[in-house]
Amino acid sequence: MEVSFWGESFKVNLIVGCLGGFLIAVLGSMFGFGGGPFMVPLLTVGLGLPMYLVVGSSLLAIFFNTVMGTVRHFQFGHFDLILFCAMFPGAILAGFVGPKIAKGLSPLMVKRIAVVGLLILGVRLLL
Amino acid sequence: MNKKIALFGAALGISAWMLLSGVLFAAQPAGAQAEAVKGAPAQSGGQAAPGAATSVRISLDKTSLQNHGVVNLSGTAPAGEPVFLEVWSTRRVRCDLFDNKVDKKTGKIPYILYMTEEMPAFYKVLVPGDRKAILEAAKAQGKSWRFSDTLKKCGALVAFQAPAAIRINRYHVSLLGSVVGSRGTELAPMSAKENGARAMKLVKVRFGKPYAIFAPVVVTKPDGTFTATIAVPEGSPGGTFHVRAVAGKSGAASQTLSFENHVAFPYVYLSNAGTTMNLLWPFLLSFAVCTFGVLMGAGGGFILNPLLVLIWPLPAAVVAGTVMPTVLFSQASGIYNYSKIKFISWKLGIAIGLAMLLGGFIGPQLTELITLSQFKFVFGIILIFLAGLMAWQTTPGYVARNKKEKAILDQFQKKARETAAKRAQAKVQAA
Repeated sequence: MEVSFWGESFKVNLIVGCLGGFLIAVLGSMFGFGGGPFMVPLLTVGLGLPMYLVVGSSLLAIFFNTVMGTVRHFQFGHFDLILFCAMFPGAILAGFVGPKIAKGLSPLMVKRIAVVGLLILGVRLLL
Repeated sequence: MNKKIALFGAALGISAWMLLSGVLFAAQPAGAQAEAVKGAPAQSGGQAAPGAATSVRISLDKTSLQNHGVVNLSGTAPAGEPVFLEVWSTRRVRCDLFDNKVDKKTGKIPYILYMTEEMPAFYKVLVPGDRKAILEAAKAQGKSWRFSDTLKKCGALVAFQAPAAIRINRYHVSLLGSVVGSRGTELAPMSAKENGARAMKLVKVRFGKPYAIFAPVVVTKPDGTFTATIAVPEGSPGGTFHVRAVAGKSGAASQTLSFENHVAFPYVYLSNAGTTMNLLWPFLLSFAVCTFGVLMGAGGGFILNPLLVLIWPLPAAVVAGTVMPTVLFSQASGIYNYSKIKFISWKLGIAIGLAMLLGGFIGPQLTELITLSQFKFVFGIILIFLAGLMAWQTTPGYVARNKKEKAILDQFQKKARETAAKRAQAKVQAA
């Protein structure tokens, strides 16, 4: 598929993109995460697309998954309104506070801390 | 332009079909749920001999608790008989189990999903103190311990009554069914005996560990009097709790007594999860995790979900289904901001989005088919993979390349913003 973006045109391998997106969506909706950290490398490294094309478009693609996953979880009765109401304000608040803190931090350092945290959590889940 | 409209049309059409089929299907369990609202299970003492029904008596030292606490019980039973107590909450919660293990008799895999909406949110079997060794042995078996075996070894089978009569729906799950979004074809109800056996398995799914179900706290004296403490821990549901004593040999049962657990704010009972929680904690946790998520560039779901499953005994499916919608708003606002400066390729986003729509349609049903330990295992692997991915993103080669990409990205974004501003200005002038 040909995609034109800001005067440039890119060839996109739809088979790889859709297959990868599908798998990420299945896992994401199954376990309740968005999948952005997997989607962006898939499109940049896997499909060789530039970052500036990927940031917005991958968010749009993930949004499809989030909407459908939400509706489906709701249909299967996996949604707890009270728990949601407790967590939703926290998430919104984080959206305002997060970027402010981010300005004073080195992204590389944050990533390294995240790696350690994710490893600990991952191993804890496996045991 | 026409192509864009056609793509949109296709997207809308497919989503409409998926939603419709989902709604049609969802009508089924809703009906079952309405029917499921009925009183406590059979109150009769079961096989109690006539006249023996009065031979077991119990009394409680209090009739109400605040959030959690301990109720002391005392009673009398025929001398020399072990006494078992069954304690259960009248609050009901959903619980399911997917049977995909090879049936030893037929050699085939059944692929049957057992689902109940009537599992007591709190259930405990109190056994005599000398049964502790049996519970320890079960605990030593780890995840593979069996509730039915432990019950039998304790001699407590007669006491298993409250969950035995819960209504369990069975669905035959097929691959094709999963793809079109169905839970599967519903099978005929089971016999009472089979229902009881499945209920035991579901009790294990819901409560997990041996000591979460059993407590070796019944102290019996030679003259047949006995005492026990009923511990209702933090996180237990509110509402009415029932208690009943059963004598191990004769099967004689006492009458069913009740006490109330009053849950007060900020503790709130989550009816879908079957857990009582101090609501401050999920709020703080979600705030902390999502803030960190913004910093590291990944949504909060990756960290929030495992923490919710690990810290509180929340069902994995409820966690996944409740965390997912929390990012809807931030994603939508992100898309809106990008679209304002025309920084989204709609064609690319929708094309891959359609594949993701299909994935999101299938995933939530699969959550029901895995056990909690499988959920943790796969999530653990995903997190370690993510950690690897992020570690790679901190390597010097990647950072250098990313810097270049980032510079180009910023340049494009600046251009896009300026164009959008110019357009807006042109509009104002035209008006």
